[in-house]
Amino acid sequence: MFKLLEGPQTLGRGRMFWACFLVVLAGALAYPLFADSYDVGNFAYFLIWIFMALGLCLMWGYGGMLSFGQTLFFGIAGYGYGVLAINMGGGTATIAALVLSVVLAMMAAGILGYFMIWGGINGIFFGIVTLSATLVLAFFLGQTAGPEWHIGPARLNGFNGMKGMDPLTVGDFYIEGSALYYVMVALIVIVYLALRMLVNSGIGNVIVATRENPQRAEMLGYDVRKYQLLTFVIGSGLAGLSGALYTSWGQFITPSSIGLPAAAMPIVWVAFSGRSDLTATLIGSFLLLFGFQTITVYSQQAALVLMGALLLATVMLAPQGFVLGIGKLVADWLRGRRRGDGDVVAEAGRLQSEES
Amino acid sequence: MALVEVKGVSKRFGGLTAVSGVDLTVNAGEIHCLIGPNGAGKSTLFKLIVGLYPPTEGSILFDTVDITKERPYARVQRGMSIKMQAPSVFKELPVRQNIQTALQERLSGAERIAEEDRLLTLFNLAPDSDKLAGALSHGQQQWLEIGMALALKPQLLLLDEPTAGMSPEETFKTGELIKSFNAEGMTVLVVEHDMAFVRQVAQRVTVLHLGKIFARGDLESILQDEKVAEIYLGKTHAH
Amino acid sequence: MSAEVFSVFYQFADVFAFLILSAAGLAIVFGMMGVINMAHGEFIMCGAYVTVGLVNLGVPLPIAQILAAVTAGLIGVLVEFLVVRRFYKRPLDSLLATWGLSLIVTQSMLLIVGSAVRGIGTPEGSFAVGGYTFSTYRLVLFGCAVAVLAGLYVIFMKTRFGVIARATMQNAAMAKALGARTGRIYAISFGIGTGLAGLCGALYAPTMTLIPTMGATFVVESFVTVVIGGANVLLGTAPAAVFLAMIRMALNASYGQIIGQIGMLVAVILIIRVLPEGLSSVLVRRGR
Repeated sequence: MFKLLEGPQTLGRGRMFWACFLVVLAGALAYPLFADSYDVGNFAYFLIWIFMALGLCLMWGYGGMLSFGQTLFFGIAGYGYGVLAINMGGGTATIAALVLSVVLAMMAAGILGYFMIWGGINGIFFGIVTLSATLVLAFFLGQTAGPEWHIGPARLNGFNGMKGMDPLTVGDFYIEGSALYYVMVALIVIVYLALRMLVNSGIGNVIVATRENPQRAEMLGYDVRKYQLLTFVIGSGLAGLSGALYTSWGQFITPSSIGLPAAAMPIVWVAFSGRSDLTATLIGSFLLLFGFQTITVYSQQAALVLMGALLLATVMLAPQGFVLGIGKLVADWLRGRRRGDGDVVAEAGRLQSEES
Repeated sequence: MALVEVKGVSKRFGGLTAVSGVDLTVNAGEIHCLIGPNGAGKSTLFKLIVGLYPPTEGSILFDTVDITKERPYARVQRGMSIKMQAPSVFKELPVRQNIQTALQERLSGAERIAEEDRLLTLFNLAPDSDKLAGALSHGQQQWLEIGMALALKPQLLLLDEPTAGMSPEETFKTGELIKSFNAEGMTVLVVEHDMAFVRQVAQRVTVLHLGKIFARGDLESILQDEKVAEIYLGKTHAH
Repeated sequence: MSAEVFSVFYQFADVFAFLILSAAGLAIVFGMMGVINMAHGEFIMCGAYVTVGLVNLGVPLPIAQILAAVTAGLIGVLVEFLVVRRFYKRPLDSLLATWGLSLIVTQSMLLIVGSAVRGIGTPEGSFAVGGYTFSTYRLVLFGCAVAVLAGLYVIFMKTRFGVIARATMQNAAMAKALGARTGRIYAISFGIGTGLAGLCGALYAPTMTLIPTMGATFVVESFVTVVIGGANVLLGTAPAAVFLAMIRMALNASYGQIIGQIGMLVAVILIIRVLPEGLSSVLVRRGR
């Protein structure tokens, strides 16, 4: 099963790649030992959004479904976590609230996805229908300021946002600071490796085949709608995971993390990084989140102008993504240097793909 | 025994009737060619059998089951396999992965890899197995797609102009391959207008003209039918 | 009794005008080029700001509104030339590029102009039917929506440009081979689309608070109208607006604006299950 970690659908294979992976992981694990807890908390904050980026990468890069509305599912799970955590009374129940809120986001994706995919909506309409749904949710939540808008004791609170839920808790122990950071790192490693295995599996073959040529895929006996729905539900579930973790991190969520311009952010991260590869998305999204947060401290508008400019520059100059492009250049350069020893590397690459 | 039965099928697009009241039977184990001049409705009939269009009226049976309302994937799962007219492969994926996607439901592990190798060799694609399918020549893409269709090990192989864009040598080789699959028990329905190819492979022939069945019979009787020759030479435009 | 009937018509006209005015520009661009202009809301915002700016300088409102629409149209031609033109073969990328533009424009406006600008107030004037009072300006908006549809009908069905534009829409390569300057037609069409967006902003400027993010108020309505309407403005967008306006009006009246919007979205999602290519595919097919 672990041989699915490598395959034609993912860049990066062999000892060199996994050695780098382990070095980065070791660095990430050691980081809290050297940094103060405020910085660790901030770092955990960037990591929250990685799940949404990886989910969109799966849907867009692998499945060919460009959803503009991933913050819809982020919001459903984010508010879902708040409502559930408040209603179930905190403590270890928050873990259940996290799981249930992600399930809720996946169910919403299942319903919306059913109507769109079975209705044959694809291409640009897939984007604008998902974005419409997202904006309507944001408008709706913005108008819930009155006291009549509550679910149990949980007040939705309009633009001011919902607050008062517990963070993730096990028994009496609040998962905050370094502990939350380690939970995030563990979740990212699990999700990243699981997605690599998914896209290199038989299901992954069908997902990319459907992106390439849905009619041909159907004529190999696959009900491509089911595979598209599966991709959409998984990708949206990951957006939901980001949302639930976000609410638990700050114990607060507002409609502005759903509507414009928030909805554009996952698109910018994934487009800039390179939608066709999970590793490129992971690295690129992290870099952008780090840069964005650094600039936001001075001016949020300036940071958003920069994100818009990056999106425009990406489609005009490097439609496949900047991080992916640079990564490929580096890989070619390394390969070129080794070519002196004969075409061993290329040969090894071929053998590997035959084994898989 | 009839494997495919098309009963009274018509297809209208707006005011245009592409196929009108067609009955067609493909018997198990035969190579059946569907021929006719341009615009006869061959491709429409093919798409109706495959399930890309719903018929306006009539019904289609496969192995005695009514499949008229089934989508293409369900028909494929019943034992059909399809090669479309224009090469239709997964262009951004490696050649081997194309074959693998077709095979993976039927075989796994070492067996699957052995079958991949066998098919790649059969169609002279082994040296290019790591290339992207879109980088292959037109003829190679046609073969790759036939390879994918065969990978499903179908009861019925449906081919829409499989030799379009192939050289005479390639066409001949394709014909021999089709005959060898048939010898192993596969039923084949081919839409074709290259008469040399039809002569090479056909056992039974149905001639379609202006959306209707014009003639049917074994290869010899069709070849000697003067009216068939006439419509091919363009003497008869309408009735 | 007749006052009640008029009241229903008035509410319908209000929603219908909003849908047509916000969607017409988007629908033209989509119909001609198969592209959705994600900066549509920013062109609406542009129209509103130019109108208010000119009125504050002393220009009469109707003239300010026309100038605002022209300004948005000219900026649109420029944007088409500099950006959108490169992406006709990659429609999804054109959405991303225009979305990038939209982010740049909105956030720069927030940086430069700040959040709120003093509005100009809805033109006075009201009339009474039976026991109810109605705002005259709302009826003017409805009249403008009808005029926009009529104007588009004339441009696309009765002028030489319209004939060439429709030919380009059907088959761009063929039109080009026959000597149509498709590049110029695309630029003009894009300009008409953004000009209509500017007109929408100009017309609604007196009725709302001016903020740089105001475009977002219009985009949901414009998106869903185009999704339901499909590629044909006259045979798709207009009937779609009638249909959606009826749903919206009924829900608005009983449950309020936000439920009206949610209901409209739900209706759209249910409809795409049945008619993925939109209403115009049905109407055009019937028409043949």
